[in-house]
Amino acid sequence: MSNRVLMKGNEAIAEAAVKAGCRHYFGYPITPQTEIAHYLAKRMKDVDGVFLQAESEVAAINMVYGAAGAGARVLTSSSSPGISLKQEGFSYIAGAEIPSVVVNVMRCGPGLGGILPAQGDYFQCVKGGGHGDYKNLVLAASGVQELFSLTMEAFDLADKYRILVVILADGTIGQMMEPVIIPEDTDMKIFDKPWAASGKKGGNVHHTIKSIYIDPVVLEGLNNRLQSKYREIEANEVRVETSALEDAEIVITAFGTCARIAKNVIKEAAREGIKVGLIRPITLWPFPVEIISETARKDSVKAFLDIELNAGQMVEDVRLAVNGKKEVLFHGRTGGMIPSQEEILDIVRRIAGGGF
Amino acid sequence: MNIQIHSEGKSSEAVPKSAFETYETAWCPGCGDHAILTCLQRALTELGKDPHEVLMVAGIGQAAKIPQYISANSFCGLHGRALPAAIAAKIANESLTVVVSSGDGDSYGEGGNHFIHNIRRNVDITHFVHDNQIYGLTKGQASPTSQTGHVTGVQVDGNINIPLNPMLLALAMGAGFVARGFTGDPDQLVSLMKAAIMFRGYALLDILQPCVSFNKINTYADYKSRVEPLPEDYNSSDFALALKTVQIFGEKIPTGVLYSVEKPTFHAQQATLSSGVPLLKRSFKLSAVEKVMAEML
Ligand SMILES: Cc1ncc(C[n+]2csc(CCOP(=O)(O)OP(=O)(O)O)c2C)c(N)n1
Ligand code: SF4
Ligand SMILES: [Mg+2]
Repeated sequence: MSNRVLMKGNEAIAEAAVKAGCRHYFGYPITPQTEIAHYLAKRMKDVDGVFLQAESEVAAINMVYGAAGAGARVLTSSSSPGISLKQEGFSYIAGAEIPSVVVNVMRCGPGLGGILPAQGDYFQCVKGGGHGDYKNLVLAASGVQELFSLTMEAFDLADKYRILVVILADGTIGQMMEPVIIPEDTDMKIFDKPWAASGKKGGNVHHTIKSIYIDPVVLEGLNNRLQSKYREIEANEVRVETSALEDAEIVITAFGTCARIAKNVIKEAAREGIKVGLIRPITLWPFPVEIISETARKDSVKAFLDIELNAGQMVEDVRLAVNGKKEVLFHGRTGGMIPSQEEILDIVRRIAGGGF
Repeated sequence: MNIQIHSEGKSSEAVPKSAFETYETAWCPGCGDHAILTCLQRALTELGKDPHEVLMVAGIGQAAKIPQYISANSFCGLHGRALPAAIAAKIANESLTVVVSSGDGDSYGEGGNHFIHNIRRNVDITHFVHDNQIYGLTKGQASPTSQTGHVTGVQVDGNINIPLNPMLLALAMGAGFVARGFTGDPDQLVSLMKAAIMFRGYALLDILQPCVSFNKINTYADYKSRVEPLPEDYNSSDFALALKTVQIFGEKIPTGVLYSVEKPTFHAQQATLSSGVPLLKRSFKLSAVEKVMAEML
């Protein structure tokens, strides 16, 4: 059984969290993600959940740490400046291996910047942002239905790997309205959490949720374990969408909103006889290295064109994957500006004509 | 009602021409922030300040837009972080008149920790809090001062938290100057602003400021019916009296200087700053630096 409704991206995230069994939301208001909080403030009541407005983002992420550490499925959401504040929590949660889900509906920076869409937090969410060697699993949707499914999946991935999962959306995806099929009954996976400070009787009563290890041998052991977990995630959890790669001469790499624009560009270019393909990473980490390097080895491929709403962030990972085999060009807009289809098409034409 | 108060706030037009210009604002018509801006302009003018001597500092919010609307040095900080930036600016250049003017959410919520610790530090700055008992800019969520039971888009069953009493907290932390004003009484507000700016040490002025768009409970009419200026013979140096008075926040809200007693400031106690010469204005001797470097190498 399922239900088809028209939803905003932000609402889809909120409803998907509820469907995934999340019953705890801790947040602090910030545009453009406030709908998530407004939706959950009402919805949590129907499902016997708790909505709590924290006094700051730092408080909210530490509430996530606490409730998830006690074994619950927990969500927090914010937008770029608020995500910066949460970074200390990210690092501690990684160290303590607490399954958590954080939504970042990105706005443009740096600093307070503006409230319009951007993708300038790629580095922050994908490469770290907090201190130490850790990874977040980062999911980027390019439509509302996908946002819904990925949010549900985020909770399973978080529990499975005891990792913090970031849903990285931009303002366009968050505000966009599209039909969503909501599954009526979901077969929710139940994860045993013997590590949690859950108050359960029996077993080890001394469950310590911590990231402090004074003994360097023990701490290196933790780091090694984290790294092997990350390698396992890289091996098993890459998600990527490709299109028209078979005979593409130009390959666009883009995520989120930019990938939507790219799809229209591909169609239009085809009409003009220019063969353009798309690689759209859905997991920004683990990054789809293999498909990109495979594609780079193809003789038919002349160049890559990376498009982002930033000054060039994911393009660094694309270049690493291409590893010098082909030229990787970049086109980015910042400050809340979004490239038009024509703007990108024009670049594609110039690449095809050899004049970029 | 709102319109009337709004024009009341403009009564400054009768005052001698100000050296401070104000610019077009993005606030809602009828918002209490308009009156704060005109009163601020009046207060600074009446104190004989020149725009170059004043530094306006704010965090983020509707209130926090104020530095952008007046011709003085201005500093737009992070949400909640106006105070650390402001006190540091005062440390760098004590000749500046530093005025923080920001919201209740900004000052008491996100910035709550800075609020507590900067009272303890007692740097000679002024802090105006536009207290509309709501998060205005983010469209109406409970702030630390929202009253219990206040229903909002996210406090769907009404706010269940105990409201923060900023006056009581400030007194408890040892603040030397604690005052409350109301945008509906601009003449009193101007005199409170002047007293706060003149006070040597950290001075807190909490200003009841109706948010006509997102706080439908604490309206002009609501505040107007509750505010009551302190009696003429109120002794603002009596700590015990102040402690008692600040706890009145219900049917009546006392306005005026609730407490005012100067204490040694940060600058007066800090070894380097106590000479009174702003750091920025001190001579810089290269030879002294070379000496230190030689010692270190
Ligand atoms: C780090 C961070 N978190 C959240 C926000 C969003 N935000 C902007 S202003 C504000 C609160 C405004 O409330 P208040 O300080 O009371 O000012 P008002 O708008 O009511 O004048 C919030 C939560 C932000 N800009 N930065
Ligand atoms: S939302 Fe409220 S605080 Fe902001 S400008 Fe409008 S009335 Fe003033
Ligand atoms: Mg406010």
